[in-house]
Amino acid sequence: MCSISFVNLISMSLSCFLLSLYFLLNDMIYFIEWELVSLNSMSIVMTFLFDWMSLLFMSFVLMISSLVIFYSKEYMMNDNHINRFIMLVLMFVLSMMLLIISPNLISILLGWDGLGLVSYCLVIYFQNIKSYNAGMLTALSNRIGDVALLLSIAWMLNYGSWNYIFYLEIMQNEFEMLMIGSLVMLAAMTKSAQIPFSSWLPAAMAAPTPVSALVHSSTLVTAGVYLLIRFNIILSTSWLGQLMLLLSGLTMFMAGLGANFEFDLKKIIALSTLSQLGLMMSILSMGFLKLAMFHLLTHALFKALLFMCAGAIIHNMNNSQDIRLMGGLSIGIHMPLTSACFNVSNLALCGMPFLAGFYSKDMILEIVSISNVNMFSFFLYYFSTGLTVSYSFRLVYYSMTGDLNCGSLNMLNDESWIMLRGMMGLLIMSIIGGSMLNWLIFPFPYMICLPIYMKLLTLFVCIVGGLFGYLISLSNLFFLNKSLFMYNLSTFLGSMWFMPYISTYGMIFYPLNYGQLVVKSFDQGWSEYFGGQHLYQKLSMYSKTLFLMHNNSLKIYLLLFVFWILILLILLFL
Amino acid sequence: MAQVPLAIVSHKRQVCSLYKRALRNLESWYDRRNVYRYRAVQLRARFDENRSKDLGEGIRLLACGQRELFETRHFQPRNFANSAGGCAFEREVIPPDWVLDYWHPLEKAQYPEYFAKREQRKKEFVTWWEKQYGKPDPKDLGHH
Repeated sequence: MCSISFVNLISMSLSCFLLSLYFLLNDMIYFIEWELVSLNSMSIVMTFLFDWMSLLFMSFVLMISSLVIFYSKEYMMNDNHINRFIMLVLMFVLSMMLLIISPNLISILLGWDGLGLVSYCLVIYFQNIKSYNAGMLTALSNRIGDVALLLSIAWMLNYGSWNYIFYLEIMQNEFEMLMIGSLVMLAAMTKSAQIPFSSWLPAAMAAPTPVSALVHSSTLVTAGVYLLIRFNIILSTSWLGQLMLLLSGLTMFMAGLGANFEFDLKKIIALSTLSQLGLMMSILSMGFLKLAMFHLLTHALFKALLFMCAGAIIHNMNNSQDIRLMGGLSIGIHMPLTSACFNVSNLALCGMPFLAGFYSKDMILEIVSISNVNMFSFFLYYFSTGLTVSYSFRLVYYSMTGDLNCGSLNMLNDESWIMLRGMMGLLIMSIIGGSMLNWLIFPFPYMICLPIYMKLLTLFVCIVGGLFGYLISLSNLFFLNKSLFMYNLSTFLGSMWFMPYISTYGMIFYPLNYGQLVVKSFDQGWSEYFGGQHLYQKLSMYSKTLFLMHNNSLKIYLLLFVFWILILLILLFL
Repeated sequence: MAQVPLAIVSHKRQVCSLYKRALRNLESWYDRRNVYRYRAVQLRARFDENRSKDLGEGIRLLACGQRELFETRHFQPRNFANSAGGCAFEREVIPPDWVLDYWHPLEKAQYPEYFAKREQRKKEFVTWWEKQYGKPDPKDLGHH
């Protein structure tokens, strides 16, 4: 099953990529309409939009999913329900494809809801309490976005069709389009886990690692970004863009800080994803949609690779995900290929020159420098970049170069050849993907003119961040623990500013109490009093009264039937 | 729901429990073994210093210690993956044995020897139980 899926998906990915190149070079957009049902003047039409962006995104999604399925052949080898797993992953890919090629809101809704539902099924794949809770959090957070999308469909009834592609540019200053844009922005924020909907992404790490590699790093979370890329005109011409810039900048910052205090390997990578999503959303809100697309694609490559390496490490650690239990030299020496892939993906994430992440990140930061942003946003961009490098190097310290911390009886090896082959594919793409996309997507380079110190600011921030992250983890001044020393601050930063608690416990107390009040007074109270119970009591009262009138005589009961029929006949013929 | 106390725990056991939990807390904070060992020795010295105080003082110190542990507990404690509280706890759900009784007869027919042996084992279990504990009261067998 894995091999067949892998072959199918990789061949589809290659064909989509070649098509996207053709479309890009010839500046073509194909709009295919398929009439499903037609009754007189009403017709139901299914539409597909093929342009270079959708085809390129599809090819990347298909490639990553094929490699993840190939990888999960060995990762999920000991699992009894691998068939269900592969089916769910394939359904996920199908929903994603439907979302990518839809130019109208109804088919986007199909793909969007499909993504939410299938990601729920994947998160609850391991059936323990943590997974169930995580699944609930994921599903309900995504449901908010689904409701927002449904509301935008309702608002779009004003225009007579749900093909938003036609209306975006013409109606960009209308109130209805602003409503639709704000609802779509809300939906994208829930899917891409921006503040205040960011609690589900670290929790969803309860899913198996291949699911995290595919779903929570490259596809599901980027669906929101992709939707906003399509709706970009609305963002850039209204205050929605400014709001998005603030929220995504704060998300970037919060996630970067949180990852520096986190000790679960997968959660660190999840927070790293969240930080990069914030970066994508913030550059998109400034109007640079090609850059956002570029970073989306390069990020998908190296983040999926990072998750796969994490999976290989977790396998070796007997399912332990705590970086405090990961030895130093053990990974570097005993798992050479995995640690090579890990290092490459980490460096790509940090923006190491000429790897995949460098092209997108560096260009984004330079564009921010020449743009008209306020000091706060500027600070958030650059500080978050520094934080990215900081937590990456901290992770490298804890997992590779620090002291040996493994439990005894851990057999550390790099013999998982199927998993490694899956990783090699993405390794090659992480190295060449950035430059390849840079030459493809941008036919001519941006004119960036900066003073020398601004140009070097990115590099400076990265170096300082890296040194800071590595040396703070390494040093132990007087054996003092820095986090314990600043207990309140580290608890605050390490728990994502307590937003998961606020958005779950904090927000649910009064609504739940109110709900109980409503159930007691309406559902079990007045509606029963006037509805079911009232009807029952009245009917039984009438029948008892009638029986009293009969005086237990069957003759009178039957005579009453005759009288009733007579009255009906009289009324009928009168 | 809070844990209902099932027995009275002696002071000695409470102190030992506090010590173990405090050591695990130290393990969460100090991930390098040499640093952890230094802090663990310091903790042990603190416990040993108050070893031979009288019980009233001991109870007061125990309460202070529990409060200090609560105030300095790690926000992400270091758990074992396959144990309670860990990330891989109860991943493979093992269905209970009685689920097999609910299989359709056609499904059961695919494994005739297994189910035949299962019925025999059930009968043996019932005879063993009745021999050990006597026959059950007819009133306990069904709903009233």
